[in-house]
Amino acid sequence: MSQHVDLGTTFCGVSFDSPFVLAASPCTDDADMVTRAFQAGWAGAVLKTTSVEGTAVDLVYPMIVGLDHEGKRVFGLGNIDLISQHHIDEIEGRIRVLKKAFPQKVVIASMMAAIREDWKTVAERLSAAGVDLIECSFSCPQGTLGTRPGFMLGQDPKLVREVTAWVKEGAGETPVVIKITPQVADIVEVAQAVKDGGADGICASNTIPSLMGVDLETFVPYPRVDGKSTYSGLSGPAIKPITLRVIAEIARNVQIPITGTGGAADWQDAVEFMLVGARTVQFCTAPMHYGFRIIEDLTDGLERYLRDKGMRSPKELVGKSLAFITSHEGLSQAKKVVSRIRPELCIKDDLCYLACRDGGHQAIELDENRLPLLDEEKCVGCGLCLTVCPVSDCLYMEEVKPEQREDSQEGERS
Amino acid sequence: MGHVKDFREIEQTYLPHQALLEASRCLFCHDAPCSNACPAGIDVAGFIRRLKSGNRAGAAQLIFQANVLGDTCSRVCPVETLCQEACSHTELLEPIQIGRLQRYAWEKGHSHLDVAPALTKTREMKVAAVGAGPAGLAAAAELTRLGYKVEVFEATSRAGGVLATGIPAYRLPRSVVEGEVDLIRRLGVKISYNQGFDGQLNPDALRAKGFRAIFLGTGLGQSVRAQIPGEDLKGVFWAKELLWAIKEDPGSHKDLCAKLGRRVAVIGGGNVAIDTACSLLRLGADRVEMVCLEGPQEMPAFPSEVRFAWDDGVEFHTRSKPLRILGEGGRVVGMEGVGIRWKKPGLFVPDNAVVIEGTEFQLRVDSLVEAIGQRPDETVAKIYGLETSPAGLVIVDSETGQTSNPSVFAGGDVVNGGATVVQAVAEGKRAARGIHRYLQENR
Repeated sequence: MSQHVDLGTTFCGVSFDSPFVLAASPCTDDADMVTRAFQAGWAGAVLKTTSVEGTAVDLVYPMIVGLDHEGKRVFGLGNIDLISQHHIDEIEGRIRVLKKAFPQKVVIASMMAAIREDWKTVAERLSAAGVDLIECSFSCPQGTLGTRPGFMLGQDPKLVREVTAWVKEGAGETPVVIKITPQVADIVEVAQAVKDGGADGICASNTIPSLMGVDLETFVPYPRVDGKSTYSGLSGPAIKPITLRVIAEIARNVQIPITGTGGAADWQDAVEFMLVGARTVQFCTAPMHYGFRIIEDLTDGLERYLRDKGMRSPKELVGKSLAFITSHEGLSQAKKVVSRIRPELCIKDDLCYLACRDGGHQAIELDENRLPLLDEEKCVGCGLCLTVCPVSDCLYMEEVKPEQREDSQEGERS
Repeated sequence: MGHVKDFREIEQTYLPHQALLEASRCLFCHDAPCSNACPAGIDVAGFIRRLKSGNRAGAAQLIFQANVLGDTCSRVCPVETLCQEACSHTELLEPIQIGRLQRYAWEKGHSHLDVAPALTKTREMKVAAVGAGPAGLAAAAELTRLGYKVEVFEATSRAGGVLATGIPAYRLPRSVVEGEVDLIRRLGVKISYNQGFDGQLNPDALRAKGFRAIFLGTGLGQSVRAQIPGEDLKGVFWAKELLWAIKEDPGSHKDLCAKLGRRVAVIGGGNVAIDTACSLLRLGADRVEMVCLEGPQEMPAFPSEVRFAWDDGVEFHTRSKPLRILGEGGRVVGMEGVGIRWKKPGLFVPDNAVVIEGTEFQLRVDSLVEAIGQRPDETVAKIYGLETSPAGLVIVDSETGQTSNPSVFAGGDVVNGGATVVQAVAEGKRAARGIHRYLQENR
């Protein structure tokens, strides 16, 4: 239990003192904020996306809408924010200040441009300022600096390859990471284009184009900006499963280092991101909700988890779950599983009964005390009942071997 | 309802989904009021966040860091007047059940604690703590973490003070305290038992042994008497001794029952009186009647404890003053009391009570237990030459816990006259910091 764990990791040849990085966001649009984040313990920060457009960025307010779910706040977060209003001139200075004050921390610049010349020169200037990594946003779904409304660069593999190469040209020795969008038909094709364009790493992925909701009184969707609305980029816990698939799919098919972002809220989420192939994990919604201090539990929780698992480094986690992912046809039909109940834990809400009756196979009956009885013959083992059960471990799945099946049915009713 | 007849713990630990539901209500406030309200300074929002993220060991670590008696405090703290009273969620719906979450975090996480992480600095200086109660244990743990070599001298054969000898098992099982004492020992604290004041523990002897500073956490050793006629009758007991006997040896309960009889009166309105009354019911008494000067809302016992005793079946005679214990053949057969009112409103002390003529009453009881308070053993202050208050409490500096004798620090009940366990922990920690500063300035 006392074996030493080093949370340090590497991504694109750059060393991080832990896998936890702040994503390009309002959290990183100010040198003092990043300073506080580094002091709190974050390993790196992606500065909010800069460009040569500077203050010409037309922000509108309010720009943030929460997705609440049954009383819980910020299950998801929608925003119509754009890139930083700070010009590359300003960002260069910040990079120098931060690297001088925190030589061990990783300062990543995020950039965006509209024309070849700008992609190249902005990358050149960031590299010259001493940034550790350059991240290119090919995927900000909110607004666009291009000419096709709603279009994201990351949706066209040919352009992805081309623009990546322009950036690489300007970046020189500084590694380049391309931030892609999950909103594509074939994520592998895009990731391959990133690699073919010469990028050193990929950032998977970004917010998801969404309509956050509609005000039932005025019929105006959210966020309401002077009587009108537009589509938002959705982040937060709601999109974690989408991000996990994107990371896994890239990791299974393209040999390129991945930094994961989109929906990680705690260290367990981060471990999942790493298990499916991410080397570092970026956070935005969680620190926007609860502050930079969440880093304390991120590092403490990860360190204890690794120690419990007998691991010495988060690098050991990277991609460990990929071998367990296959196509649907690759899954076995040979084994029969059924639901079982621990009656002593049942609180008799009987949601399992309802779910099975109206959403399953009518395999649950209630006895005279409202206790669910499972009919093993009817149960197909779909897992819906334990998904809706509010009590942990009250229902569980168990494999049945053919010869056991008759005995255990008796046992269920005793 | 029937009386509970055993000393099994009354409250159960949360099940995992219960803990998660409760933890999920936490708002994780900035500069969290709950933490600020905790005398021991536990990072409540921090440990709940860790609990919620599945980092149970990390949650237990945060608790242990701030309070080496965090498991005990999760059971005995008056949370409704401390952390839970401060909880911001009260304004939304109701406070987070912090005490229960703390208990859950500890139960699930303590086996993976880093009990004694490598010290950043070790110091050769030795410090003695006299009394292994909550204050002494907290001071010793804190000083050990600061790098000092600490030995605790305990008069009895058990560490924990009131935790081991006073608080009944249904509120605080013995195993809880034993587990915590074991961790404190593993932290590096040496505890020596059966060390009375006869010779060994005077300041000169301790100094001669190389101890550079002394922490006094000797608590309240002597029961205060009501000083009413009949106290010398057979069948009159004092709460401290009685609770100790009950906790010490569950096997002796039968003998105790025989001595106590079926009907018992308990004099006093504090937590000790409540503990006594509820313990007596659990021992098998048919009827337990509490007699106290204060009204139901005025009793010094925590409101939750008063409610608990009420639900348990204790009978209350409030705003009542005991006059004399009645005896026959040298044995208690009853007591006589009288109703009172307060001369000045809001001042609930004996001197302010006025007897209401014609309200005299008699209770038929087989025995009587006095639980009206305790005071420090005066020899302690005398041996150490310390300034004391008229009540015999040791006077200390409010920042450092330093007594009138510069190398002697004190905390816990001997200073505050009897407060909460967590307050004793806080005063132990305060004195540890005071001792550290003193020793840095007087190398």
